[in-house]
Amino acid sequence: MSIPALYFDGKTSRAHQVTLSVEGGHATISGDAERSCPISELRVSERARNTKRKVTFPDDAYLEIVDTAAFDALLADTGHQDSFIVRMQQSWRGALGAVAATLVVLTLSYLYVLPLASEGIAKMLPERVERSISQGMLDFLDKRIFAPSKLPLARQQALIEQFKQLQPPREGVPNYRILFRKSKIGPNAFALPSGEIIITDELVQLMKNDEQIMGVLAHELGHLHERHLMRRVVQSSAIAALVTVVFGDASAIVANIPTLLLDMKYSRDAEREADDYAIAMMKANGIDLAHMAGGFEQLQATTRETTPPPYLSSHPSTDERIEHILKSR
Amino acid sequence: MTDAAVVHEIPESNSHPSDTPIRFSFSGTGSEYFRIWIVNLLFSILTLGIYSAWAKVRRTRYFYGSTSVAGTSFEYHGNPVAILKGRIIAVLLIIIYNIAFEMSDLIGLLMLLLVMALTPWLIWKSLQFKLYNSSYRGIRFGFRGALKQIYWVYLALPILTMLSAFLLTPFTHQRVKKFQHQESRFGTSHFSFSGSVGSFYLAYLLVFVIWLVGVIAISVTLGGSLFAIITADVMDREAASAAGAAGIVLFLGVLYVWMFLLFPIFATLIQNLIWNHTQLGQHRFLSDMKWTRMAFITITNIIGIICTLGLFLPFAQIRAMKYRVECMALQPNGSLENFIAASQQQVSATGEGVADLLDFDLSL
Repeated sequence: MSIPALYFDGKTSRAHQVTLSVEGGHATISGDAERSCPISELRVSERARNTKRKVTFPDDAYLEIVDTAAFDALLADTGHQDSFIVRMQQSWRGALGAVAATLVVLTLSYLYVLPLASEGIAKMLPERVERSISQGMLDFLDKRIFAPSKLPLARQQALIEQFKQLQPPREGVPNYRILFRKSKIGPNAFALPSGEIIITDELVQLMKNDEQIMGVLAHELGHLHERHLMRRVVQSSAIAALVTVVFGDASAIVANIPTLLLDMKYSRDAEREADDYAIAMMKANGIDLAHMAGGFEQLQATTRETTPPPYLSSHPSTDERIEHILKSR
Repeated sequence: MTDAAVVHEIPESNSHPSDTPIRFSFSGTGSEYFRIWIVNLLFSILTLGIYSAWAKVRRTRYFYGSTSVAGTSFEYHGNPVAILKGRIIAVLLIIIYNIAFEMSDLIGLLMLLLVMALTPWLIWKSLQFKLYNSSYRGIRFGFRGALKQIYWVYLALPILTMLSAFLLTPFTHQRVKKFQHQESRFGTSHFSFSGSVGSFYLAYLLVFVIWLVGVIAISVTLGGSLFAIITADVMDREAASAAGAAGIVLFLGVLYVWMFLLFPIFATLIQNLIWNHTQLGQHRFLSDMKWTRMAFITITNIIGIICTLGLFLPFAQIRAMKYRVECMALQPNGSLENFIAASQQQVSATGEGVADLLDFDLSL
């Protein structure tokens, strides 16, 4: 069998009309150009429906073949077989299998592998890294958002002492420091990875009693104990890397939406975990959980949040959290 | 045009050199590319990204092999191992860069300077790799360019542009394209570029005026009705403020969509401008993209990608690519048979990998 082809010698752009035939393990072309080469030295381009097949000689000269059906038959005669991946790419069954397998792998890693791996990595990271990250964040916040606390020092000390008296629900409490700041962003409290718990004057004033403040502090200690912040940093980098692999050169705007949504879920999980920690701490110390729930209600009343749909939110809805706290009583 | 028709055309156009434009054609289909994409994506994920270098080569080969002009298609020769090495170096650089700023501002600043000093060189390597590994009719493309020029075009000019409050942007854009095209070659033939700085300023100005007109129109229509709602006495204060907030969100949303619509206009103007002023030896290129069509493709692609949670992506890429390729034509001046190959050199893929991960658009 001989099939027509165009031969390019790799030295000029001239197209030579030739015919290709294979006999005894040798490919021979004849016509405008003549040459023969053992088929083991030739490289054949991958099969694709609408593209011409190319056969490349060791010196970059190549043949371009239009009649793909005839060429497939010729290749089959020589015992050539498409690679596993090419066969999978060319069949819809293979491709649909790949869709299913990809979805399964992505879901499993999102639900189980990523949280576990990031927890491990967060625990492995030296404290020095956390410390320098936290210092950077605190410096930034102090410059932009915070002013020194207006609370009397005695009141600050009293709150710190009161919290120190409480028994944490688990062993291995990380070193922590409670800092007071006056803020431009209203009542707030959060924890930095290196162990600083920052609580704003506005929050202290908003809470009706000290038990409510203890609940907030316990929630933040929960974030520290579970190392949520570092886990989150690791997780969001991993998600960003994966999204880059999937979307490649797609527009950045589209690529960032899934990153954001996927990260939100981890964030909500972390909030629930910290709530559970605080619940356990309150119980261990015999503080009525109604105080903690009350604290959330206070917060809700001031911020008067418009509740976004759950999957668009970094925190579970406050109603859901209050209900969870009260149920745990 | 069917394949057979194209083949018949070759001997003719060879013996009788003509100067009727020859349109580029793109034969790739979304459904086939989808299968290539998903299979390679699966293996990339399973191998934690290592396979992505092979996937890139396979995808690029598909795009090149589907693009033809005058009856023959392009070919990509990039070596996956070289690309993998480039990607590993890129990942290390990104990690080091990100950690540096967390460590201290001084180390961060030093890293920033180092990255700035390295970037032009990486772009240069990336352009070289991409062109040396592309061929048409068995002849490879190539890229030269002196180190001095690289730093002028990719470091000094961007810095000057920033200092000029971006007034120099069209000038820098012209210089970058001029550099890219004039230093590219096909075999022993050089590309040349004749797009003037003035034409780049004109394109930017045109897009800016369109943008401004749109912003004013949006502000007048939306802003007016918003004002009417808020000042109307029908609503109590709370409802009015809620309507106001919704109105602002709507306003910003419309502005965002408007910016999005403008991008295809800009891309179309620039692609036409660039390719209509590019020559390869005596042969000219032509490009006649329409921004309305490009805007339609871009917007429907984005909607498709969002609605299918990403599964439409390969179809979207093929649609955009097909339109862009098929708007190009080559106007030959004499025979296309006389290009001669230059002696070939191996080029490292470090630049390729880095540019890829940092998401540089080196679209040539």
